[in-house]
Amino acid sequence: MFRVMLYSQWKWTRLIVALGSVAAFALPIVSVQGAARADASPLQAGELLQAVQSWGTLYPVLAAALGLLVAIATWAPDHRGRHVHALSLPLPRWRYVLLRFGAGATLLAAPIVAVSAGALLATWSATIPAGLQGYPGALAIRFALAVLVAYAVFFAVSAGTARTAGIILGLIGSVILVQIIAGVANVDVDLLGKLQVAVLNWPGPLAIFTGRWMLIDV
Amino acid sequence: MFEQLDPRSPNPLYAQIANRLRVAIAAGELRPGAALPSVRHLAGELRVNPATVVQAYRDLETDGFVEIRQGAGTFVREVPPEGRARERARQATTLVRQMLGEAGRLGVSLAELQAAIAEQIGVGTA
Amino acid sequence: MTNAIEIRQLHYRAGRAFQLRQLDLNVPSGAIYGFLGPNGSGKTTTIRLVLGLLRPLAGRITVLGDAIPDAAPRVLARVGYVPEQPHLDPTLTVRETLRFQAAFYPHWDSPCAERLLRQFELDGRTAFGRLSKGQKGKLMTLLALAQRPDLLVLDEPTDGLDPVVRRDVLSALLDYVSQRRATVFISSHLVHELERICDWIGVMDNGRLITEVPMTRFKNGIKRLRVAGAPPSAAGAPFVILAREHVNGGAETWVVRDWEPEMAAYFATIGAALNDVIDLDLEEGFVELLRSFRGPSSSS
Repeated sequence: MFRVMLYSQWKWTRLIVALGSVAAFALPIVSVQGAARADASPLQAGELLQAVQSWGTLYPVLAAALGLLVAIATWAPDHRGRHVHALSLPLPRWRYVLLRFGAGATLLAAPIVAVSAGALLATWSATIPAGLQGYPGALAIRFALAVLVAYAVFFAVSAGTARTAGIILGLIGSVILVQIIAGVANVDVDLLGKLQVAVLNWPGPLAIFTGRWMLIDV
Repeated sequence: MFEQLDPRSPNPLYAQIANRLRVAIAAGELRPGAALPSVRHLAGELRVNPATVVQAYRDLETDGFVEIRQGAGTFVREVPPEGRARERARQATTLVRQMLGEAGRLGVSLAELQAAIAEQIGVGTA
Repeated sequence: MTNAIEIRQLHYRAGRAFQLRQLDLNVPSGAIYGFLGPNGSGKTTTIRLVLGLLRPLAGRITVLGDAIPDAAPRVLARVGYVPEQPHLDPTLTVRETLRFQAAFYPHWDSPCAERLLRQFELDGRTAFGRLSKGQKGKLMTLLALAQRPDLLVLDEPTDGLDPVVRRDVLSALLDYVSQRRATVFISSHLVHELERICDWIGVMDNGRLITEVPMTRFKNGIKRLRVAGAPPSAAGAPFVILAREHVNGGAETWVVRDWEPEMAAYFATIGAALNDVIDLDLEEGFVELLRSFRGPSSSS
C-alpha cells in the first residue's frame, strides 16, 4: 500500500521536490561564495559571516515552502474528490492518513539530502578563515527538522475538511478578538504575545525557524 | 434470436425467453443434443438477471424440452412429434387470443375479422 | 436467507430541508435490487450512509453481517462501489490506477482486470483525467468488479453514458453476478434498464422508502383500470387506489396497486363496470406511485 501511495504522491510533487532539492543544494554553496577565492584575513571573516548569515535567512523560507507545497500536493487529489475515494477504501482513516504522511515525508528526504550534500561540499571546498568553523551537519539536521515540522503543520491543516480549516481560522480569529477586547477594556492579557513565546521560543514547535542559520560560525 | 424481448410486457421475461426457446426447439431451429448458451453468457448478452435465465431453463426442463446437466450445461432434448405439435398449437392459440383481444379493443367485429383472415390467407397462398 | 444490506429506523439530516426519516430497507443476499426515485429523494445519501461515508443520527445499518460505520474498513474490502462522480487521481494512468486499487484489496483479480480492460477497450496508458465520461464509467465498473466483491453498490452507474457503453457496463455486471452469487444494489433513474435486471425494487421519495417489493409484484400489481358508473367513494376495495380520474360521461380511469385478476368481481358489488385492465410498465407504474404519494388526489 505504501508503495502505490508513494508513487502517486511522487507524481504530484516531483516538480516541487526536484526544484526544492536544487535550491537546497545550491543555497549553502552560494552562501560561501565569498570565501572561495579570497585569502583568510580577519576582514574576510567578517564578510564571510555576513554573507552566510544573510543567505541563511533563506533556509527557513525554503523549509517552510517545501513543507507547505508538499503538504498541499499530498492532499490535492483527495480534496478534488471530496475524500470519497479515500473513505471508500477498506482501511481505517488513521492508517490512510499515516500512509499519506509517510509518503510525503519520504519524498522530502530528497531536499534534506541535497542540503546536507551542499553544506558538506561548501564547507569542504571553501577556505575557512582561522577562528571559524563549519557546521554542515548541524545545519542539515536543523533544516531537516524545519522541513518536517512545516510539513506536519500544513499536512494537519490540509488533511481536514474545509470545516476543520474553518475551525482553526475561527480559533485564531477569536484569540485576536479577545486580544482586541482586552485592549479596549484595558485588561492586561497579552494572549498573542504569550502564544508567540510559547510557540516560537524553544522548546516551542516553531522555534526551529527563528534565529540565525549559520553554516559557518565561530 | 431474442430481439422481441420486451421487459415492459406484462409477460415476465423468463416466460418470454422460455417461450422463444420452446418455439425454436419445436420448429427444429435448435436440434436435439444442441447446447443452449450458458446462463452467464445469455444473461450478459440479453442484459437480464441471471436468475431470469435460470428460471427460463428450469421451465423448459419441466416441460421436457431441455435437460439440465450439472456442470455441463443445458441441452436440447429430442421432442416427440406430438410434443412439437402441442407446442405449435399453443403458439397458435396465443396468437389468436392476442388478435381477438386487440380486435375487441379496436371495435372490429368477429365477422370483419374472419373476412380479413380469409382475404389474407388467399393473398398468402396466391 | 440473510440480508446483504439491512437498514433499520435510519434517521439522517443534512441542513434544514433534507432528511431521511425512519428508513427501513432490506436487500436480500444474491438479489439485484433496484433503487428508484426522483432526484433529491435521498438515494445517494442512503448509499453513502450504507458505505459508512456518512454517519447517521439514529438507526442501525448492517452490511454483509457487520455494523456500519463501526466495521466499515473490514466490510468495504468486500464491497465494490461505483460512485456517481468518478473521483480518482486524474494524474494516474489507467494502469497505475489499477495498481493503486489492487494494493488495497486482498482478493484483487488481475487476470479479470486485464480481461475487462480489453473488453472495455481502455488504453492502459491514458491518464484518468483525460478519459471520456464513458471511459471513466467503464473504468469505475472495472475497478469494482476486479475486487471480486460480495456486494456491488452502484450509484447511477450509467448516468450520462451513451447506449453502447451502458450495454457494455451492464453486460459485464451481469456476467460477474452469474459467476458469483454477489448482491447488487443499483440506483438509477433509467427505469427501463432496471426493469430488465432487477428482481427487487425499492422506491424512494422525499427521504422515505415508499415501497419495497419483488419486481414482478410491482409490475404486475400496478394497473390502470377503465371503470364506468362507480360511486364517488369506493369503500372496501381489495386493492389500493392510487388515483381516480374522470374521463368523460360516467367513465373514469383508476390507477391501482396490489391488483389481482380476481378483484374484478369487486366492481359488480359497487354497481360499477370494469371495462378494461391496462398493464403499466415499470416507468409508468413508478410515475403513478409517486404522483399518488404527492398529489392531493391520492387516496391511499
